[in-house]
Amino acid sequence: MTLRLQAVTKRFGALVAMDALTLEFRPGRVTSVIGPNGAGKSTLINLCAGSYRVTSGRILLDGLELQQAEKHVIARAGVARTYQNIRLFDGMTVLQNLDVFLYPEIVGQTFAEVFRPRLSRQIKLQRSARCMELLERFDLDRYAGQLAGDLSYGNQKLLEIARAIVLRPKVLMLDEPAAGLNHGETHQLMKKLRELIRPDLVMLVVEHDMNLVMALSDHIFVLHQGKLLFEGTPAEIQTNRAVQEAYLGSPGENDQIREAARRRENRVRIRADADITRHRSGAA
Amino acid sequence: MTSESAASTRPPPNRAAGRIRALLIVAATLGALVLLVPQLATYHVRVIDTVLIYVLLGVGLNMVVGYAGLLDLGYVAFYAIGAYSYAILASGQFAIHLPFALILLIGGCLAGLAGVLLGIPVLRLRGDYLAMVTLGFGEIVRLLLNNQVWLTNGPQGISRIDEPFLLGVGLNTPKDFFWLLLPLVAIALTLAWRLEQSILGLGWAAIREDQDAARGIGIDTTVAKLLAFGLSATLGGFAGVIFAAFQRFVDPVSFSFWESLTIVLIIVIGGLGNLVGVVVGATVLIIVPELLRGYSEYRMLLYGCALVAMILLRPRGLIDRRYNPAWLMQVLGWR
Repeated sequence: MTLRLQAVTKRFGALVAMDALTLEFRPGRVTSVIGPNGAGKSTLINLCAGSYRVTSGRILLDGLELQQAEKHVIARAGVARTYQNIRLFDGMTVLQNLDVFLYPEIVGQTFAEVFRPRLSRQIKLQRSARCMELLERFDLDRYAGQLAGDLSYGNQKLLEIARAIVLRPKVLMLDEPAAGLNHGETHQLMKKLRELIRPDLVMLVVEHDMNLVMALSDHIFVLHQGKLLFEGTPAEIQTNRAVQEAYLGSPGENDQIREAARRRENRVRIRADADITRHRSGAA
Repeated sequence: MTSESAASTRPPPNRAAGRIRALLIVAATLGALVLLVPQLATYHVRVIDTVLIYVLLGVGLNMVVGYAGLLDLGYVAFYAIGAYSYAILASGQFAIHLPFALILLIGGCLAGLAGVLLGIPVLRLRGDYLAMVTLGFGEIVRLLLNNQVWLTNGPQGISRIDEPFLLGVGLNTPKDFFWLLLPLVAIALTLAWRLEQSILGLGWAAIREDQDAARGIGIDTTVAKLLAFGLSATLGGFAGVIFAAFQRFVDPVSFSFWESLTIVLIIVIGGLGNLVGVVVGATVLIIVPELLRGYSEYRMLLYGCALVAMILLRPRGLIDRRYNPAWLMQVLGWR
């Protein structure tokens, strides 16, 4: 399955967030989308997930037109996403956070679960086994019974990715998976993300951490003000002058990190500030 | 929950022995009740019956408020629909005299239908706005009962309601109703608990936590919410039918806003989303006012103070989430 954007435009009032953009995301590889703030990266994910509606253009997942489908229909078609700001179900346990992702698949069994206890025990064991296996892959199995809200920030990020792949999606869109993580955690994340690559999975990553992007991506789209500025392999991106000027290594990068941190909660802010300090000392 | 995962790593205990123990405890409790209840004064049994009816209502409202996180302040409307179903279909009002069990079914269905009908317009509302609309719905139903005199006999209410028969046995005294209510409450609690544990229950929890994210993972929130409204209202309808058969008289005063508030208080004080909390909440909120009957004009003041105290001291309710039916089953040795 290939995810295609055909001449997609998105306007917010007078602001053109995405300008007749045509992109193609192929399965079996990691495609990253980078660009300065306001380039339209998150807008892209929100459009594909059905959170926003396109102003014009089409978004195709093979034959399926995503641009007019309901959010839950898109999710059921195999499009999964994570959020820039973590959106776990804090009041539910880690295992329940995964379990609930099976909802579209097994909600029809509710009647059996309520009225046929023996069958329901079986159903529950099955779904827990499937989810526990995934938790083990992300080294989260020992937290299964804890409330998701009590996890550390890094583990919450991992859990978010784990739950996105419970239903074996065809498209996985990660919105800044490394934001707020320290170096060790980012490294850990990269390893996990590499393990997720499957020949039939479209993986779309929006990320500010250039080390992660360069190391992980097979193909990169550089957006600038809603338009495609450049596309190519990490090596090509790094040597392209236009990209250099528009984005990479620009002094605005620290501001972006800080701006991203401002939108998050306190504990995250502290960690992001530490990141900025490290960033600066690393650059100097 | 942590104890559950710890239990799964241990070798499984002898389940059969545990089950026999649990059944013995339940049987002993039942035996004690059979011996004890006939000894009690009618007044006391009447109070216990009231508690059981409120447990039913609490379990029902808990589905919407506790599980799905939708604050419903007009729940009494479904209670009223159930009660008036029995009053109209089993009295001299229209000279219709249907059997009790049939009306239980009709009342439940009518209330469930009303629940879905209320659910459809309020699907897009959350929090305060939802509370206001549901509050209005409760008042509309009460005013209809008050003013549609041809149907409901208005403020005078409907009296001389038929004596209910179930399987040929007449239900007359509070003691009869105790034996009707006890198994019904047990069934309602069991089914509600299984529902809470089911995938639909998890879906409701997800909606409660973050509705947009819930939709993002493929939960059809429309269907899930309407199911919550419908099932919850159905239970309210059942409780209403039994209430009317129990009182043998209904009037609109029984279904005021305060009644809705009492049911909300039951689940908030007991512990939102916790069935053990519902039982404790209903017991406390019905028995304490009975004990303080001499000061009944202060009842709402007492409720208000209790609510403020709860919010300050135990915002999650009297009963901690840990003490849920799973914990109870473990104590009894069921698993």
